[in-house]
Amino acid sequence: MKNSLSPNLYNNVSNCKVLVVGAGGIGCELLKNLVLTGFSDIQVIDLDTIDVSNLNRQFLFRKEHVGKSKSQVAKESALKFNPNVNIVAYHDSVMNPDYGADFFKQFKLVMNALDNRAARNHVNRMCLAADVPLVESGTAGYLGQVTVIKKGLTECYECRPKAAQKTFPGCTIRNTPSEPIHCVVWAKHLFNQLFGEEDPDQDVSPDTEDPELTAAAGESALEKETEGKEIERKSTRVWAMDTGYDAEKIFSKLFRDDIKYLLTMETLWKKRRPPEPLDYNNLSDESPSSTNDMRDQRIWSMKECADVFSKCLAKLKTDLAAQGDGGMLVWDKDDDKALDFVVSAANVRANIFGISQKSRFDIKSMAGNIIPAIATTNAIIAGLIVMEALKILDNKFDKCTAVYLNRKPNFRKKLLDAGRLDPPNPKCYVCSAKPEVTVVLNTQKITIKFLEDKILKSELGMVAPDVEIDNGLGTIIISSEEGETEQNNDKFLSKFNIINGSRLKCDDFLQNYNLNITIAHVEKLEDEKEFMVVGDMAELQAKLDENSKKKEGESSGATPGNTSSKGRIGSVNYHSNLYTKQILVIF
Amino acid sequence: MAAVTKSGLDKNNKYDRQLRLWGDHGQSALESSRVCLINATATGTEILKNLILPGIGSFTIVDDKKVEGDDVGNNFFLLRDSIGTPRGKIACELLSELNEDVVGDFVEESTSNLIENNPSFFTSFSIVIATNMDEKNLLKLGELLYKYNVPLLVCRCYGFIGYIRLVLKEHTVIESHPDNTLEDLRLDRPIPAFQQFCDSLDLCTMTKKDHSHTPWLVIVYKYLQQWKNTHNGAAPINYKEKTQLKELIKTGILRNEEGVPDQEENFDEAVKHVNTALAPTKVPSEILKLFDDPECLNLTPQSKAFWIMIRAVKQFVETDGQGALPLRGTIPDMTADSERYIKLQNIYRHQANQDCQSVSNSVQRLVEEQCQNPENISEKDIHTFCRNSAFLRVIRCRSLEEEYNPQTANTPLLGQHLEDEEESDIIFYVLLRAVDKFYEKFNHYPGFYTQQLESDVQELKVCLSKLIQEWSLPPVSKDDYVQEMCRYGASELHTIAAFIGGIAAQEAIKIMTGQFLPIDNTYIYNAMKQTSITVEL
Repeated sequence: MKNSLSPNLYNNVSNCKVLVVGAGGIGCELLKNLVLTGFSDIQVIDLDTIDVSNLNRQFLFRKEHVGKSKSQVAKESALKFNPNVNIVAYHDSVMNPDYGADFFKQFKLVMNALDNRAARNHVNRMCLAADVPLVESGTAGYLGQVTVIKKGLTECYECRPKAAQKTFPGCTIRNTPSEPIHCVVWAKHLFNQLFGEEDPDQDVSPDTEDPELTAAAGESALEKETEGKEIERKSTRVWAMDTGYDAEKIFSKLFRDDIKYLLTMETLWKKRRPPEPLDYNNLSDESPSSTNDMRDQRIWSMKECADVFSKCLAKLKTDLAAQGDGGMLVWDKDDDKALDFVVSAANVRANIFGISQKSRFDIKSMAGNIIPAIATTNAIIAGLIVMEALKILDNKFDKCTAVYLNRKPNFRKKLLDAGRLDPPNPKCYVCSAKPEVTVVLNTQKITIKFLEDKILKSELGMVAPDVEIDNGLGTIIISSEEGETEQNNDKFLSKFNIINGSRLKCDDFLQNYNLNITIAHVEKLEDEKEFMVVGDMAELQAKLDENSKKKEGESSGATPGNTSSKGRIGSVNYHSNLYTKQILVIF
Repeated sequence: MAAVTKSGLDKNNKYDRQLRLWGDHGQSALESSRVCLINATATGTEILKNLILPGIGSFTIVDDKKVEGDDVGNNFFLLRDSIGTPRGKIACELLSELNEDVVGDFVEESTSNLIENNPSFFTSFSIVIATNMDEKNLLKLGELLYKYNVPLLVCRCYGFIGYIRLVLKEHTVIESHPDNTLEDLRLDRPIPAFQQFCDSLDLCTMTKKDHSHTPWLVIVYKYLQQWKNTHNGAAPINYKEKTQLKELIKTGILRNEEGVPDQEENFDEAVKHVNTALAPTKVPSEILKLFDDPECLNLTPQSKAFWIMIRAVKQFVETDGQGALPLRGTIPDMTADSERYIKLQNIYRHQANQDCQSVSNSVQRLVEEQCQNPENISEKDIHTFCRNSAFLRVIRCRSLEEEYNPQTANTPLLGQHLEDEEESDIIFYVLLRAVDKFYEKFNHYPGFYTQQLESDVQELKVCLSKLIQEWSLPPVSKDDYVQEMCRYGASELHTIAAFIGGIAAQEAIKIMTGQFLPIDNTYIYNAMKQTSITVEL
């Protein structure tokens, strides 16, 4: 070891304190590599517990560890092999405010071994705030990547636009599904409506405010409804509980009555194949799939779906009851009942709408955002991470690389693509000197709560923002202190005189991050989007132009271009939208 | 595959994330594999770790060394307390902890003894993985395994350099998982049932709803016929003609009262698919080559199932298939009503089954002719084979003997890399070979004793020149590389071992599952630059 590393570097390695964020697939490999490369002061943080499906690659864990803290067990297993190393484990979210810039400042180096974009964004900002170099990584099946982020020298994690996490318009889910994924999303929403946390955004009943419906059509449907029988407006959950989770009643409401009701919204079906309601007592026993005896791979018949649906309802009802009053269930892809429930409900709905049905195996990966994962890729990537870490500790940032692991050698016979690191994007809304973005929205339809949750937190990656209007008065509309601005939550932005061109000063104290937002008011955005984030107005214009061009392109049969190699993993790993087309949000 | 493991865990859950890559049949193949590792070095145990976790059947470690201090420093599967005890035994114990469903074993004996006295020991394995072996014994082992067609994976980590060489006489791949494939739709020679189905539909008289839900496959077919009628029965071949066909299809879109075309997604899809859907049906050249392969032409009672099946496919192409491979039998997703989409699906599936049945009959005949056990090839195997018949691959690696003999070495390639590409990582292959020459001469690696570093550098230069001379290549001056190589002093860095452990295990899994294409035949990793190349040596 000492032979190959220069004495100076060897010294740096053995004396420095490093942080590993994540103790999963890459994290386990990384911990081992660090210990055996001579690192002796390591901290590791992970909020997760160990699951059976981790055991095929996360080699620091055994069967008896299932259910225990990943970081804690990883630490203990690694120490068994080298008790002389100092390892500190945190069973916690790295986004917890306890881990502020001062926490990050104590490390010479931070290494990410994460599986989601929110945490990656956050650690990126913390490392920028603390000015600590970061090695970022990710794997998906046979693909992987490693890159180095150093404030002022390289691109940060958020310098480059990433493929947006795919969401579906509510009315597609509720009224007019056309792809299997729409049915799967609907079925997951149904699970939450019946057993989980109630979220008004996850309504599963027909949507009378579908923009495709003319006002009159929606109303007439409503009228018909009230005309027929007096339907009391109560939540799906309360209604289902009142029936005692009666399988036939629930099935009939969801898959017969609601569908019949949808059929009354005639405009929806002028150009679409109308859905066909199903009768609980008259279901087909015919399985659409060929002879395949494996339950996981086979497509279930409607009869079988209904049976599974009924059984799961009963079991889940018991689970829910066991939690006592106010209890709720959390959907988990590795819980058989929860998965079977979604598989059966999604397939019944798919059948109704003439959408191709999917096997349990496929639905598990669609509903659970499953990314295939194997030991070999993680081992390769963790090896690459340490090589980059060594260069950083040797102060050779100019030698650091961004490495991409291909599935097989490419046409130039390269399995690895190594590229120089790019300099920071001067317009990056995170790492530039004066971060700025423009948010396009309808100020009369967006509430303060929506601004905070969906725009500042989900989209712009903040954790606890404070927001003031840059109007010379310093009006604070969102405060990170509890109880200070909650009364604003349901008010529309326009109520605070936020209009086209208004500027908002946003500050996330934890991330040491200030962002100026310019509001661009529009009445309506295309594709039923509620808002859009752009770098500045010039780019907004360019983007709008590009959109109109793209439309022309499509109609003349042009195929979409390949994504650049840099965007590649972004589309499969960070966002797991394996089943959907990707949409780029341009900053 | 049993649903529950020995450890009492549900296999589908435990292996869920990898089943998504190689399927249940890939997993069963893995679970019946026997792996032999020569030398429980850091590289060796890392590779085994990555094979034990996904669940190979068993592993056997061959190692006659005792654990030393250096081992403990870079090998996760050896403990400080175990210094002085047999290395293979300790590694076997600790590795076995990773997965209760994998059987571990070790043999405390030198590889040279085994090759000498018990060569059949090696021939029972699915794959042999050799790490840090000296040249002499490696060549002997290579010769032995090549003879019996047991795959050999040679792995080495030397300072910041990683090296992998795959040696096997023949490896057949049914599921090569190609990246971008065209659908097998046969619009140029339509399936009779498909033709009938299309003819039964009349776009002009159907309702608006039916019109906009007619599958694009039908639309393209119909307008293609229309085109052919005005072009002496010929299909559009170039870009211009295809564009004309697209325009023709667009004229079929319904119009509203004002004469403005409606939005009909299925027509948009039809236009979009014209280019790919019109690709003529033909047997790929790789497959034609396999048809002419002596293994295919001269079947014997020992012929592998792969060759029996490919012969049957060849017969199919020459008879029932009328020049085409068995139909794949799947159609892409498209905008359509379920009824007609399912009908289409069934038409393609039915024809595929029929083709498969014809192949199956041939297989049966061939198996009988060669007096093989008919149970060796199942209907399911034939089905998978037919579905993948356009993507079959056979890999034959050159032997180590061919590589090491200067007369048969791939010197043109070496020369080209050394001359043309200033920065080619091939130099590290050459240096590793020079290092082996050095070892043969001095019985230690260059730079191993720090005090001899300077003289070692000189000696290694001599070895390098000799090697280059043997290959009759012009002299190379790579003094800084020679210096670097000596600085490594044959050290095995853990992080390089971890990387090579991942790559090598992945290649081994490809071999054992018979899926995906393994490297042919040498892989070199340069950790300083984070680059790597694959070359055929």
